[in-house]
Amino acid sequence: MSPLRSLAGVTAIGAIALIAASCEANRQALAPTMGAPRFHFFVFQCQPLKMTGGGRIDYPPGTADKNPPASHEYETFGAHVIASGQLDENGVCVADKGALEWVDHRPEMNVNGSPLNLHATAVTFAELAVDTDCSDGAVHWGGKLRVQNTGQEDLDFEVWDCDNGEPGVGHDGFAIRVNEPIDGVGDYAVMCPDPDLPPAEPSCTLTGGNRQFHPTH
Amino acid sequence: MKNESIRAAIRFAGLVLPLTWTSGSLAAQMQATPRASAYGVSVSTPAVNQTSPAAVLPAGEMMATDQANDVTVADLVTAQNAFAIVNGDLTDGSGAVSTATLGAVNILNGLITADGVVAMASSTAENANAEGSSLASLVVNGVALDDPAPNTRVNLPGTGFVVLNEQIPTSGGITVNMIHVVLQQPVLNLFGGVIGYQTIGNIIVGSATSSVY
Repeated sequence: MSPLRSLAGVTAIGAIALIAASCEANRQALAPTMGAPRFHFFVFQCQPLKMTGGGRIDYPPGTADKNPPASHEYETFGAHVIASGQLDENGVCVADKGALEWVDHRPEMNVNGSPLNLHATAVTFAELAVDTDCSDGAVHWGGKLRVQNTGQEDLDFEVWDCDNGEPGVGHDGFAIRVNEPIDGVGDYAVMCPDPDLPPAEPSCTLTGGNRQFHPTH
Repeated sequence: MKNESIRAAIRFAGLVLPLTWTSGSLAAQMQATPRASAYGVSVSTPAVNQTSPAAVLPAGEMMATDQANDVTVADLVTAQNAFAIVNGDLTDGSGAVSTATLGAVNILNGLITADGVVAMASSTAENANAEGSSLASLVVNGVALDDPAPNTRVNLPGTGFVVLNEQIPTSGGITVNMIHVVLQQPVLNLFGGVIGYQTIGNIIVGSATSSVY
């Protein structure tokens, strides 16, 4: 039986080495593509990942409590991103695909008679944030979007996306910033930079919905 | 002896590997499937059958959306700025979220009005809920109703009844209909007496469904 044991031993060592090699994080430092404070989202790794789902935020203030419905102080969205952990020649951790549909229902965000509606036309980067309190995973990602109300195109955006367990309501978080002024609105961001606000700033806590992080190897 | 060991190894592999394949196949067969759909307005009567806007999570996709600035269904319903957004991941079945939002809702010529409707259904393998759903400035038959509890029923004399914040558990998920009007007409006996009511149509405003099973 000793040859069998030897065969099993060699096979096991090989398997362990293969698994370890395939799961090792790419720890190459990434230069975030867009400037600005990132609060807890500050340390990133480029590795395969996926984040899916949708939700509702009542911003301001962006806490786990809903605002009075008649206030219309809320935003709803659907969003996902997939990345395979590849860096481009500029050191950007590229996204394979993604989508964002964002609707801001606040009266002051009405543009041309409709709620501000942002639609991603390209999702270009996605990096795993490893310094957050999000228990299941956090991703900083973004790309280009179009303002559906006006047709304004090619605005850079970035989001901070947090899966902090189940259910998503009261736990998960999401934040968005558009990096150029929106016609009729100006600077636009739904972010909750409060160090006491769990789970991880600058994401605002969901008042409905769910974010689902999928680590992929 | 060496040949005997090799034969033993082959026998071992022959016994164990098929078990592994079977286990994997079963796991694949048992993988959950998320489903998600949402719509703004649906009217079903003998004369009208219309749903708009509507989004259903398609196979192989992770999001679908639909939108309509103005929704008018005969003289039964009007609404503005309706969005339907559905999300899920068919590759691993981990979760699904559906959302329908509307503004300026008017049903049956003012019998029911609301200036903001959100229907939200979220499902994972562990949990399904309608958190995030809400009705803003709801008025039913002249009475303002603030934040109705799930499955609140209000009679509409001469019309039928309405179920507000209707939450229906489904297999592995939930359906939420924020305003569900059931249109009814009386059933009469030979002497003209009312012996019951029959449903002749449904109006649903703000519907979201999600499940993982």
